[in-house]
Amino acid sequence: MESNAIVVLALRVGLVAILYLVILQIVAVSRRDMRLANAAPPATTAARPVVGYLVVVDSGSTHLVPGSRFPIEPITTIGRGPTNSIVVDTTFASTEHTRILFRDQSLWVEDMDSRNGTFVDQRQVTTRVAVTPGSILQVGDVRFKFAPLDGQKGGR
Amino acid sequence: MSTAPVPTASARPSIWSNLRIDRRHYRWTELWLLLLPAAFMLLGLFELLIVHSNTTVTSTTLPPLDAFGPAIGLIAALGIAHILLNIVAPDSDQTLLPIAGMLSSIGVIMALRLGPDLGVDSLGAKQLLFVILGLGVCIVTVRATRNLSRLRDFKYTWLIAGIVLVGITLVRAHSFSTNAPSRDVLTIGPGLLAFQPSELLKICLVIFFAGYLDENREMLASSHYKVGPFTLPPLKHLGPMVAMLGIALVIVVGVRELGLALLIFGLFLSLLYVASGRPAYVVVSLLIFAVGAYAAFSIFPYANTRLQLVTNAFSVPNDAGYQIVQGLISFAHGGIFGSGLGLGKPWIVPESNTDFIASSFGEEFGFAGILALIGLFMLLVYRGLHVAVRARDTFSQLMAVGLTAVFALQTVVILAGNLKLLPLTGVPLPFVAYGGSSLIANFIIIGILLRLSQHKV
Repeated sequence: MESNAIVVLALRVGLVAILYLVILQIVAVSRRDMRLANAAPPATTAARPVVGYLVVVDSGSTHLVPGSRFPIEPITTIGRGPTNSIVVDTTFASTEHTRILFRDQSLWVEDMDSRNGTFVDQRQVTTRVAVTPGSILQVGDVRFKFAPLDGQKGGR
Repeated sequence: MSTAPVPTASARPSIWSNLRIDRRHYRWTELWLLLLPAAFMLLGLFELLIVHSNTTVTSTTLPPLDAFGPAIGLIAALGIAHILLNIVAPDSDQTLLPIAGMLSSIGVIMALRLGPDLGVDSLGAKQLLFVILGLGVCIVTVRATRNLSRLRDFKYTWLIAGIVLVGITLVRAHSFSTNAPSRDVLTIGPGLLAFQPSELLKICLVIFFAGYLDENREMLASSHYKVGPFTLPPLKHLGPMVAMLGIALVIVVGVRELGLALLIFGLFLSLLYVASGRPAYVVVSLLIFAVGAYAAFSIFPYANTRLQLVTNAFSVPNDAGYQIVQGLISFAHGGIFGSGLGLGKPWIVPESNTDFIASSFGEEFGFAGILALIGLFMLLVYRGLHVAVRARDTFSQLMAVGLTAVFALQTVVILAGNLKLLPLTGVPLPFVAYGGSSLIANFIIIGILLRLSQHKV
């Protein structure tokens, strides 16, 4: 037993060293993963393509912050209900108020039979209407401006 | 209007392309990391073989190759699991298998080391068999959970399956003496196969909570009723979940697995918080928990004893506090660098291979070893949360968080119990503690995490 003392000591040091080596290596792998994740675009943009933005111009009676920006997805719903893409927390808005669609390379606004109506550039929406960047959308007493995707962060 | 390109569905790969190893996507990182548990097994076994022999080790008196059987077995199993993962889920996280492999090789080494001293020579071989089985189950899980929606859609089924399994065991349990280590062992056949279904109940609960919260997340995050300064969630949406939690807790408290009850409740809290983002839920639940815990401690004398031991273990070092005092002495005896593998006396502590595996490890590897062990668990939790952050949808994220929380909570509860910071409970230290059910359940969790981190289906 005595005769093996040096071998045993080396093994003891080696065993603990391996434990720390595992930790160091996994930390190194994690750091590399983080660098890769920062370099690559976030995975969510692929799952839900953003086709433009809605900028709050007038927050009306809601808690929305004027100037804040909401992404427009291929189907975006606006209303008072919590399941909408954009929730406008005001009694002037219906539970499901307005829907924005991305079809044929263009954005379309349609009213979901809301009580107070949807307005694009002050005109009430009755059928589906196409909108362009700069158009003003009014839902309840909230007004949004359509902003293009180009040059915005998150765009591709 | 801006014309952002909408990604089109890529061409569907043929079935056969899934079953081939892609050379560019070969899991080199995992292979390299797996060399370390392999080296640990070989060196550890070598030390165990020579530490008590009287012959000097020279090139002619090396231990026979046969003696390295357990190490070679584990290395082969890890290697095969690695190759199969390359086929089944080539893009999944490459650190989970090495971390689990490292922890389970510590478990196998400790079982090999403790077996002879505990009078059970086959302890190490059995633990090795459980690890190999666990790795197999892990790969099967990765393959079987390809369609994650199947987990989500049948969440009630999974939960009820778990509850029924534990319930049957509860009814059939015959030993209700207060100090039997586990009262929920389901024995199939005459001692052929003993299993602890409560280990599986944890996974079933994570699936259920994740599926349920995924469906009702928006409702829970929005507040509908206001009572004075408090905003309440819609109670009808919280109801089913609280009911299921209640059933699980009642059953678990019925088999007096208070550690498991703590684990399930912690799991519920962390998932609820992650899903709703509202600290108010956590505060309210903790208050309810405090009341429940107080009730449990006044009803069960068993629980009360455990709680009192936290403060007065050293005044009863020879009877009720024997185990925990011996465990602490074990830690202290290890000192900073430990007595060395095979050179301590960890078997003096009762349950040194299961509940007190941390003190056995601490005695022989010292503070340095315990620190590394905690580091490994922290990395396991970190990688689990990393999987959650990168997961595709809310359900996957909640699953990953819940499964990671299972590891985190178990580790904290048992380590704190061993160190006399919390009442001692019979929660196994993941992968390290001796026991087949716990190992296999933990490998199922690793399998699901691997699947959740695999983005290309």
